[in-house]
Amino acid sequence: MKTVRLYACVLSRIVIGGLFVVSGLEKLISPYQNFLYVVQGYEIFPPGVDRVVAGVVPWLELFLGTLFVLGLATSTALAGLMALFAGFIIVVGQAILRRLPLTACGCLGELISFPLPVIIIIDSGLLAVCVFLWRNKGLIRHFGLDRLWDEE
Amino acid sequence: MKTSMKGVIVLAVLVGLVGGVYGLKQFIHKSPPTNKESRSQVRAKGNPSAPYRIVEFIDFECPACAAGAKYLKDVMEKNKSLIYLEMKYYPLERIHRHAFLSAMYAECALRQGKFWAFYDQLIDQQPKWRQLGDATPAFVSMARKVGLDLQRLDACLQDPSTREAVEKTRAEGRRRQVRSTPTYFVNGQMVVGLRNLKGILEKEGSRTK
Repeated sequence: MKTVRLYACVLSRIVIGGLFVVSGLEKLISPYQNFLYVVQGYEIFPPGVDRVVAGVVPWLELFLGTLFVLGLATSTALAGLMALFAGFIIVVGQAILRRLPLTACGCLGELISFPLPVIIIIDSGLLAVCVFLWRNKGLIRHFGLDRLWDEE
Repeated sequence: MKTSMKGVIVLAVLVGLVGGVYGLKQFIHKSPPTNKESRSQVRAKGNPSAPYRIVEFIDFECPACAAGAKYLKDVMEKNKSLIYLEMKYYPLERIHRHAFLSAMYAECALRQGKFWAFYDQLIDQQPKWRQLGDATPAFVSMARKVGLDLQRLDACLQDPSTREAVEKTRAEGRRRQVRSTPTYFVNGQMVVGLRNLKGILEKEGSRTK
């Protein structure tokens, strides 16, 4: 049973981290203006701040996602990813409540597009998985670079 | 010691990612090719030597595009020498059911030398026709209003080259990494959305006052 939980934790770590790597990379290799337009569509950030958000979020996704996949600074990366998920849920949630005319979330760039109610369910589910991983922080370090320091 | 070593590795990952992303961007975006269209195919207006040359990728069914079109028309009427505007079709069929057909009608209007008159109709009437299940009668009515020859229009709509013309500009948009509409290229610089276009043009307006 413990082995199943161990592999589930490691696999979840790699899948969630990989998802952020792909999402961040897709946004970063596309012109910045495309993601800026997505961010502006949510009408939550004042002018100027929207540019910072559009510039920083893809890098955070890529950096934290990579660390999480590698199992390096795992706890910090997990905390950061949970904060990102919470942020996405708030931003998408307010758009749904305000009935903004957004047809797709724009969260995975052009790779996959989800309607807002679908993405909020997916994000909430993934945040729940992250909470589960947080409670099993010892297990998610397995098969990761953090183990090098554990064993020294 | 252990912690500092770990910090160095985290930093190395960060540096590697930054380098990797910039390298990848350089590799992918080597001068996006543009289609050279013949003079008769170009949907352009304004002063060719204007300080702002704007190429717009438009989806006629998108409300933000209509707002952008009205804004640009207003700016161009107030200052005739400021902008040279060129239009390219970028119908987003996945979300707009009449987008491709409206672009085909516009292309046929172009072939009868009445692109801008038809374009104005499409933009002004957009809130009405975008609600319709079948927008064809609305497009025909607009064509009649701007004086298009309806027989030629019918033949043009059946002509495979009309569809090709729309697909060609859309393919160009994809190559130039257009993802949503309206996307403008202001003197070659990509600008997505009306708010950002206004930012650029209003900065110029306040500078010239």
